Amino acid sequence: MNFVQLHLLLNHFPIIGTLVGLGLLFISLSGKNDDLRRASLIIFLAMALLSIPTFFSGPGAEGAIKKLPGVSDELIERHHGAAMLALLFMEITGALALAALWQSREMPRPARWNRSMSAVLLFSIVTVGLMARVGNTGGDIRHPEIAPRKDGVTEELIISKIIHVFEPSPTKFAELMTASKWWWAFMMDLHFVGLVLLIGTVGILDLRVLGFARQIPLDPLHRLLPFAMAGFALNLVTGVLAFIGMDQYYTYDWAFWIKMLAIMLLGLNVAAFYLTGAFESVERMGAGDDAPPLAKFIAATSLFLWFAVITLGRYIQSFSDTISVHK
Amino acid sequence: MAPPLFLQTIEDTGLSTWLRESESPFAFYFILLFHTFGLALLVGANMIVDLRLLGFARGIPLAPLKRLFVIMWTGFAINAVTGILLVIAYPTKSLTNIDFYIKLALIGFAVWVMQRLQSQVFGEASLSKEAMTARGVALAKWSLVLWFGAITAGRLLAYTYKYLTYP
Repeated sequence: MNFVQLHLLLNHFPIIGTLVGLGLLFISLSGKNDDLRRASLIIFLAMALLSIPTFFSGPGAEGAIKKLPGVSDELIERHHGAAMLALLFMEITGALALAALWQSREMPRPARWNRSMSAVLLFSIVTVGLMARVGNTGGDIRHPEIAPRKDGVTEELIISKIIHVFEPSPTKFAELMTASKWWWAFMMDLHFVGLVLLIGTVGILDLRVLGFARQIPLDPLHRLLPFAMAGFALNLVTGVLAFIGMDQYYTYDWAFWIKMLAIMLLGLNVAAFYLTGAFESVERMGAGDDAPPLAKFIAATSLFLWFAVITLGRYIQSFSDTISVHK
Repeated sequence: MAPPLFLQTIEDTGLSTWLRESESPFAFYFILLFHTFGLALLVGANMIVDLRLLGFARGIPLAPLKRLFVIMWTGFAINAVTGILLVIAYPTKSLTNIDFYIKLALIGFAVWVMQRLQSQVFGEASLSKEAMTARGVALAKWSLVLWFGAITAGRLLAYTYKYLTYP
């Protein structure tokens, strides 16, 4: 599989997945259906996660087709800028969906609509719109049958021109990220802070599920998870900004991609924890209680994958330039 | 002022040269990786105790958190050993960099605070929960500041050194 195939495979998730999520959200508005609402939030969260490797696979796809006849650099840049703006709103939507899911644990049924949900609705609508623009500009790169003008720039609707005002210039953005080594050092420092926030909370929670420090009841440890979410958010932001700054360096690096795979697997693991009933089985674990095998398996997987993420992150530098470029 | 010659002596040793120049995945990056694991365990576990003392997650009973000190000291041991190996690999780079000494000072204070937390807050079995918390609040605040300061100082080492190897 090459980068073009990967990019074309993954891009379906942020574009179509968000539309499905929004559809479910609208349907849930009309009825008293809590499950549909929760499902739409979970879909937004999953799409936010999958948008990350989608975005990261772009530069590799670009590298593969750049020199082919009929491919316009300007159209690629336009698509790239559109993707950056859409990614921003996608991740905000994902974060809001996560917050809404977290809050809904606490609320007694049937409370269902509040400010969080309004925020999710607003941002998801904007995201779906921006994703349509990303898909459109992406198609323009290699589908001459839908591009009416020969000079390479398709006719744009008024709404597209308005959105374009807010789209960053990829080259300028990259230069901004790498202009100062102190900015880079600051971003890397925040990446470590995020790492500690994550391991401190998730790691200790996993260890408790596995049986360490049995005198600590589970629920209060679980309540510290917002710190883990803050840590993940920090690392997501600093990670994306670092990639934007040096995309060629990360794109052709095995360690980077396996790190992304590990993070996606962690998303699956979290889904497994909450959707299979494993969480319910340990939620009320008090001092001295032992967790059932499924919960322990999920906890062990979580610990293993987070340490794998740290390891792979550390080895990015050693593996740079290990994926060959087909010129 | 030229760096002292003993730095070159260390750098010329077999161990130092191997750590620096070997292509083996078990050389420099491996040591650095375990340094990261150690700090994740040390600061992560310490952070839970600090957050609890500052009033977050009040449902966690204080006394059992004493078990977390095992994780903290394990992390510290890993970092002491890997830290020494890292200095052996790049003695000039670290020992001529003032940021490195700032880092060591911050770690020194943070470990001192950690010791006091362990003995004064968690050590006395007869202390009531209120008494434990009262003693712990100031220590917890300093602990967080000092550890995140140490992480920052450590991360900046890659950007503040004057000499990579002996000039």
